[in-house]
Amino acid sequence: MAISQRESVSIFPAEREDQLVAGLAALAIAIHILEAAFPSPLPGIKPGLANVVTVVVYLRYGFRVAAWVALLRVLVGSLLIGTFLSPTFLLSATGAVAAIGVLGVVGSVGRNTVGALGLSVAAALAHMSGQIWVAYSLFIPHPALLSLAPILLSAALVFGSVSGLIAANVDELLRGSGDQAHE
Amino acid sequence: MTGLRAGDVLILAAAAVLVGASYAAFWSPRTEGDKAIISVGHDIVAHASLLEDRTVPVDGRLGRSLLKIEGGRIRFIESPCPGRYCVHTGWISRTGQVAACLPNGVVVEVEGGAREFDAINL
Repeated sequence: MAISQRESVSIFPAEREDQLVAGLAALAIAIHILEAAFPSPLPGIKPGLANVVTVVVYLRYGFRVAAWVALLRVLVGSLLIGTFLSPTFLLSATGAVAAIGVLGVVGSVGRNTVGALGLSVAAALAHMSGQIWVAYSLFIPHPALLSLAPILLSAALVFGSVSGLIAANVDELLRGSGDQAHE
Repeated sequence: MTGLRAGDVLILAAAAVLVGASYAAFWSPRTEGDKAIISVGHDIVAHASLLEDRTVPVDGRLGRSLLKIEGGRIRFIESPCPGRYCVHTGWISRTGQVAACLPNGVVVEVEGGAREFDAINL
């Protein structure tokens, strides 16, 4: 009984899942670092293309693998860029946790009605809201910071939609390639 | 466009509303005042900041009125008048709001933010 339950949670045996997580996280980290190299028009705004990986992974392999990939990306990404344990890292981690949390909730509530676009938009807004909240409550508790919120949230909506469309197409392509991973 | 589903449209719509609401919430003019003008008769006796919690005694025509400032709001808590209308006015915090004890001649008006209304006709 316990064994069959475990199998219904995990698609792969443990060793295989470890490899899967490692490979996908490496991909996400590469995108994350590539993106960090590009200049941003406004602090706090970036496309967040690494989240394409998170969304696609969530759709194909479920919550646990996606959470691993997202958290590993933040951790290893910050180690490689050199922001580990800095305020930037804390913001990044908060965003990732908020995004993966909302991904899990929205994904399980709307299991058959929500696709990559909806998941990506919801996760992007959660990511940004979490970051604004931490930035406001921990770093700069000044009302002026909240005046930035509408701009930042608008950017999150736009970039979340773009990431979502990319994720939808990637998911479609992977489906078409006949990967046995999908149920 | 691949794989756009009902839930996606719903989430997009909700997201657009939320982002719109964030403009309304964070970019609307601030109506909460940050100081109170306390006057007795025609004389302004104090510009009291609402940022610091404290009790302010004000001597009027009949005696001493007590004003309490707490959490950006101000109210009468005691006044030597017969009706205690001033005390029953309760907390005021928005720019332009007034609490007054006419028998004692003490008037408190909130200042410092954007005025929501030019005048209120009761």
